[in-house]
Amino acid sequence: MKILVAVKQVAFLDDEFEMRDDGRDVDADFFEKDLNEFDHFSVEEAMLIKEAAGDAAEVVIAIIGDEDADDALRTALAKGADRGIRVWDEALADADGVAVARVLAKVVEREKPDMVFTGAQSADFGSAVTGMALAGLLGWPHTAVVCNLDYAPGAGTATIRRELEGGLEEIMTIRCPAVLSIQLGINQPRYASLRGIKQAKQKPVDELSLDDLGLSAAEVVPAARVRRMYAPERGKAELITGSAAEQAARLAEIIKELRGM
Amino acid sequence: MANTGSAYDILFTPIKIGPKTLKNRFYQVPHCIGAGTNYPGFQMAHRGLKAEGGWGAINTEQCSIHPECDDSLRITARIWDEGDMRNLRPMVDHIHQHGALAGCELFYGGPHAPGLETRTISRGPNQYNSDFATVPGCPGFTYNHMADEDEIDRLQQHYVNAALRARDTGYDIVDVYGAHAYGPMQWLNPYYNTRTDKYGGSFENRARFWIETLERIRKAVGNDVALVTRCSIDTLYGDAGVEVGEDGLKFIELASPYLDMWNVNIGDITEWGEDAGPSRFYRIGHQNEWIRHIKQATNKPVVAVGRYYDPEKMLEVINTGVVDIIGAARPSIADPFMPNKIREGRFEDIRTCIGCNVCISRWEMGGVPFICTQNATAGEEYRRGWHPEKFEPAKSDKDVLVVGAGPAGSECARVLMERGYTVHLVDARDKIGGYVNDVATLPGLGEWGYHRDYREIQLNKLVKKNKQSQIALGQKRMTADDVLNYGAARVVIATGAHWSPIGLNHRTQKPIPGADASLPHVLTPEQVFEGKKPVGKRVMIINYDPYYMAPSLAEKFARAGHEVTIASVGGVGAYMEYTLEGPNTHRMLHELDITILGETGCSRIEPGRVELFSIYGEGSKRQYKGSGQLPRKENDSHHWHECDTVILITSRRSNDSLFRELKARKSEWAKNGIDNVFVIGDAEAPRIIADATFDGHRLAREIEDESPQHQKPFKREQKVWGVAYNPGENPELEWRL
Ligand SMILES: Cc1cc2nc3c(=O)[nH]c(=O)nc-3n(C[C@H](O)[C@H](O)[C@H](O)COP(=O)(O)OP(=O)(O)OC[C@H]3O[C@@H](n4cnc5c(N)ncnc54)[C@H](O)[C@@H]3O)c2cc1C
Ligand SMILES: Cc1cc2nc3c(=O)[nH]c(=O)nc-3n(C[C@H](O)[C@H](O)[C@H](O)COP(=O)(O)OP(=O)(O)OC[C@H]3O[C@@H](n4cnc5c(N)ncnc54)[C@H](O)[C@@H]3O)c2cc1C
Ligand SMILES: Cc1cc2nc3c(=O)[nH]c(=O)nc-3n(C[C@H](O)[C@H](O)[C@H](O)COP(=O)(O)O)c2cc1C
Ligand code: SF4
Repeated sequence: MKILVAVKQVAFLDDEFEMRDDGRDVDADFFEKDLNEFDHFSVEEAMLIKEAAGDAAEVVIAIIGDEDADDALRTALAKGADRGIRVWDEALADADGVAVARVLAKVVEREKPDMVFTGAQSADFGSAVTGMALAGLLGWPHTAVVCNLDYAPGAGTATIRRELEGGLEEIMTIRCPAVLSIQLGINQPRYASLRGIKQAKQKPVDELSLDDLGLSAAEVVPAARVRRMYAPERGKAELITGSAAEQAARLAEIIKELRGM
Repeated sequence: MANTGSAYDILFTPIKIGPKTLKNRFYQVPHCIGAGTNYPGFQMAHRGLKAEGGWGAINTEQCSIHPECDDSLRITARIWDEGDMRNLRPMVDHIHQHGALAGCELFYGGPHAPGLETRTISRGPNQYNSDFATVPGCPGFTYNHMADEDEIDRLQQHYVNAALRARDTGYDIVDVYGAHAYGPMQWLNPYYNTRTDKYGGSFENRARFWIETLERIRKAVGNDVALVTRCSIDTLYGDAGVEVGEDGLKFIELASPYLDMWNVNIGDITEWGEDAGPSRFYRIGHQNEWIRHIKQATNKPVVAVGRYYDPEKMLEVINTGVVDIIGAARPSIADPFMPNKIREGRFEDIRTCIGCNVCISRWEMGGVPFICTQNATAGEEYRRGWHPEKFEPAKSDKDVLVVGAGPAGSECARVLMERGYTVHLVDARDKIGGYVNDVATLPGLGEWGYHRDYREIQLNKLVKKNKQSQIALGQKRMTADDVLNYGAARVVIATGAHWSPIGLNHRTQKPIPGADASLPHVLTPEQVFEGKKPVGKRVMIINYDPYYMAPSLAEKFARAGHEVTIASVGGVGAYMEYTLEGPNTHRMLHELDITILGETGCSRIEPGRVELFSIYGEGSKRQYKGSGQLPRKENDSHHWHECDTVILITSRRSNDSLFRELKARKSEWAKNGIDNVFVIGDAEAPRIIADATFDGHRLAREIEDESPQHQKPFKREQKVWGVAYNPGENPELEWRL
């Protein structure tokens, strides 16, 4: 019995930052990197299933990313996952959710897990597409934004609860194996202990290339391309003070300025 | 400073004070630290550090000009002789090394200084006994002698001689101390001065002593030093004292020509909490209703105080012409590096004074070095070598688990992380701060939350620097198994303490019969904070604690419409006399109609009533009556008092079960990779926040030392036998025969 959890290393911006010269992303010097917040919950959910099954389940963490992403992978392993897989190739540098899903699909074929978890979305880009694209590629049942899960390892189905618009909740049964994208708050993620952190350093991690997975660079070309990333100009606010007449005069001035009169 | 175009530039713009130039607008006003002249290393390091931290001028504490002014057992500086000058000089030199000015506050207390060591009698305009508790708890104890003109001349000469010694010690500024009802203020203030000669009566006559003294000092020192005087421009007694709109402003106008700068504040010594206002009653800039008038009456620079910790407020008071220079005592204690942090734009790193006045409490009780709740290194600079901003790098890669993120645990974790250790800080609460989170919800104590905020901000920054470190809040309470399995090489238990739920107390060291906080009508302070138990109309607070919990909870419930009675074995909030919160706390208790039953203990609690007794009800005669018999008459003062809810403020007990279990399982440490387990803060023994913070800090500094659980001896400053204090003295015993 095996659960595969796909995790992402996300970037947080410093208070002040600069854009990359090509204007398509923020200069990486201004990032702080960390495990995607959602993935703390999906890893925890896998760990809870594993522990409930008396450790009979194996939890495998998969990440697409360069050496830097090791930190996020080890963070997940430190919480008790059994082993990791890291896939990297320069061709993945611009990968989007669909490209990442293609790679993950190959990892799933290789690992044959009974269940796949992803985060509902990532904290930095938030496109919420990777998990669902993966399910599509695999042709597996899938449910997005899961906020409660009842699943016994090896069972043929799982019961899931989702929150819908307008405060509605939906309970559904899904055939397994399946791809579930996990919502914040589904559980209370644990922190790694120092022992967990130390052990994570020793845990096996398969480092795979596209080749190893039988993928070519052409197959991971992003479906979409970022043309420009920029901070939109902030609207200016001004507190208009003074007597009613003074305020009216200032208001008229501003309107004129804006209309270029 | 080069103009950087920043709004804060004005704070870093130099200003002339007579012959001297103050490099910026940060002025450490005189404040006691417990060093005086007897601890020259302490004096030097504490003041010198502030020069390093960017203060433009740093003053001594009140510095007695002559043995006739002896403030013991409160520790103050003295500049009586060459021995004192030698001991003060390191302070001056250290300050000068960092380009700051050094000031000396010339202090003559009159009867507010009791002369307990020298056995002298002070001189004053009239005879009166001090309204200040010269001996703590005993106002009215100390008298002075009315000076005639010979004595006036002699006293003024004491000032002149002291000013010359200050100059020769290297001080740049001498400040004639006339605030806090000291020195020349007793002559100006009609509250004390009822003379009828040329030194009493009219304003001009009452001002004469002060003006003459300034004139004589100026004549003696010329332009070698900047001449400043500290003046309370309103003593807050209405027309019974000095009022800003009357004598206050008139005196500013009259004395300005003799001075290079004004150092002004309000209040007197008996209620000097009106100046060093505790945050319970006063906010930043609280003196400005009075201070804002001063600059109209003088063209000399003005420095004033008001617990200035916020750069925005500093800008406001300078830009609106309230003052020219920011004076600070407590903010400089809590963060000696505040000016540098402001200059560097590191506002979030300022260790903000919380206004608890624990620093002052140590001076008020007398005889001991001061401490600071926020800054654990205050007073420890010289004797332990603790720099507030710099740390010894980690000496090993042994990681540390800290259980409990209260003052002790969070400070310990902060300092360990600053040193470069990998630290995991774990707490069951979902916020850093431990008990401070509750304390800060009490009436008036919101600013105490700055203690937590500082640590929270710093810890969050520090964990980003070391990805191996972690702050885990909102966790289930750690058990011994959790700790043993955690994988840390070192474990620090900082699990705090709790108020006894059964009324354990220091007078019997036993529970109070019937006291049981598992019953619906009996609450501990913790249960009050939780807010889950209903509280009835008539609240009875059983108080065995000397600090703020009883008055705080009484205030909380009285404001919520309950009828509150405090039955208290000791003075309610007795320790608050030392933090200067006392007078206004008692006014508040009075205003809220809270009934206080003094010298009262509790012998039994039942639903709907408590049995109280006078703690002095046993009869004064001691008599041996055989074993098993009290050697006095049985206490016959017990009586029942009806109430709906009882709040137990009795003794505190350490939450040490986790520590004790880990100690009991010492044999399992090695196989779990644990080197050592320590216990700090309230979990070791209940104490005040300042001391819990200190303890966490200390362990983090000393964790590689021989026995880190036990403090490393510090460098002591003691008089060395056989060495004369003054040149030409014989240190041997010399009988006068
Ligand atoms: C507006 C927008 C702009 C974009 N701009 C860029 C860009 O400039 N450059 C660029 O490279 N891509 C860009 N992308 C693509 C996309 O953000 C990333 O490729 C990302 O890998 C997948 O999408 P996501 O981060 O939003 O994850 P989501 O689809 O929101 O899903 C998050 C979950 O997917 C899984 N997952 C995501 N990434 C990985 C991974 N690397 N390894 C393992 N599991 C993973 C995790 O389980 C995670 O919790 C953009 C997307 C959008 C919507
Ligand atoms: C009601 C009360 C009022 C006080 N008022 C004042 C005052 O006015 N002035 C003053 O100076 N001092 C006061 N004190 C004392 C002061 O609050 C303490 O000295 C200080 O908070 C002690 O700090 P600490 O870090 O040792 O413990 P605490 O602040 O108690 O912190 C202990 C922390 O450990 C956590 N914890 C405990 N066990 C576990 C566990 N097994 N696993 C995980 N976490 C755990 C708790 O959640 C808590 O956050 C008061 C104390 C109390 C109890
Ligand atoms: C611990 C302590 C000791 C003090 N001792 C003196 C003193 O010796 N002489 C003096 O003029 N003022 C003394 N003060 C008062 C301060 O100079 C200052 O007026 C007061 O604390 C208000 O300023 P603040 O709000 O910046 O603390 C002392 C204040 C503190 C906190
Ligand atoms: S002890 Fe309290 S009042 Fe005094 S400086 Fe420190 S924080 Fe401020």
